[in-house]
Amino acid sequence: MNKNYIILMSMLLVLAAGLLLLPEKNNTKQMNPEELMWDIVQPTRYVTTDDVAKSIIEQDPLLMLVDVRPESDFQDFALSGAINLPLEGFASDDTRAELDYPKKNIVFYSNDDLRADQAWVLAKRLGFNNVYVLRGGLNQWIKTIIQPVEPAQTASAEEFSQYTFRKGASLFFTGTKLSTTATTKESVVVTRKKKSSAVAGGC
Amino acid sequence: MGPLIPQGIIPMGWDFVIALLIGIAFGFILEASGFSSSRNITGVFYGYNFVVLRVFFTAVVVAMIGLQYFDYFGWLDLNQIYVLPTFLSPMIVGAVIMGVGFIIGGFCPGTSYTAIAIGKIDAMVFTGGLFLGIFLFSEFFPFFEQFYYSDNMGNITIGEFLGISNLMFTMIFTAIAVIAFYVTWLIEKRVRKNHEEYKF
Repeated sequence: MNKNYIILMSMLLVLAAGLLLLPEKNNTKQMNPEELMWDIVQPTRYVTTDDVAKSIIEQDPLLMLVDVRPESDFQDFALSGAINLPLEGFASDDTRAELDYPKKNIVFYSNDDLRADQAWVLAKRLGFNNVYVLRGGLNQWIKTIIQPVEPAQTASAEEFSQYTFRKGASLFFTGTKLSTTATTKESVVVTRKKKSSAVAGGC
Repeated sequence: MGPLIPQGIIPMGWDFVIALLIGIAFGFILEASGFSSSRNITGVFYGYNFVVLRVFFTAVVVAMIGLQYFDYFGWLDLNQIYVLPTFLSPMIVGAVIMGVGFIIGGFCPGTSYTAIAIGKIDAMVFTGGLFLGIFLFSEFFPFFEQFYYSDNMGNITIGEFLGISNLMFTMIFTAIAVIAFYVTWLIEKRVRKNHEEYKF
């Protein structure tokens, strides 16, 4: 064998062995800070209360609501189908496991959007990309969905259709009975045909 | 510092220019290493010429060791390098088809073009077949689409798969390469005794 080859091969081996002396690098995959900053300033992470209400009513299988308030608040009131992951213990492995549904749209909410936003940043740092924040939180939810305000007469048709939707959603979520006025009720008189006679003929 | 394009040091628009330059360099090295010759390519299978194995093993090992040192020096962030996803069984089947194609045709896709560049007629026929194969593959893709995407292991490296550090794996792989160089040298020596007419 050529002497040069032997020298080159031993060089390769020495260099490869040198790699073992290098310090072990921590290979946790993290988000690039610039990318994170870019995502933070984007408004696209917000979803409106109307969108969420619609998804709940339609039983959208991709919707996953996460309540980031303390557990006592969650016990008092929560959106239907929501799970509770208080912000305090958010960086635990349990959270990771709970949120590990890559196909779902995970929506965080709290009383306003502050805590939900914090949860969103944490989740983003943990590597979840399918996370959103309910704009305005539960306060906005009460204001728009539970107690919608009728728009002014001069409002656009869109606002009216939105109001109609919210009114319907309010009924759906609160379970209030439809208040029907007397005038809408019309008694229907059913007139039955008298049978003319007993069975005639026959076989 | 690196990788240069994802870090924005070189703008994205230069992608194709760089690809073209690397392609030219790759073709030149292939031709210079004698890969345009079908004898060299198929020699691996028949055991009289292992130049292909040696060139590729050297390229892989040099790149592996070099990149790990680059990462250590901070010239290149290996975490930002895109790792192709592994589809194990489709890849094994693909590798077998590719290997059979090597022996039958005497070229791999890259070397067939360098062989055309030096005017080989069989290489022109080979690339004709290559395009026919691409066409048929595309036309019949729905039939094996399910298999094509099966067995997805994600963007995994061999070190992660085996549960050892990538540095350790580089060391092991280098040792394997050196052993392979020696063993193939022995095989070549033995086989070439019966190939006295064989010349490079």
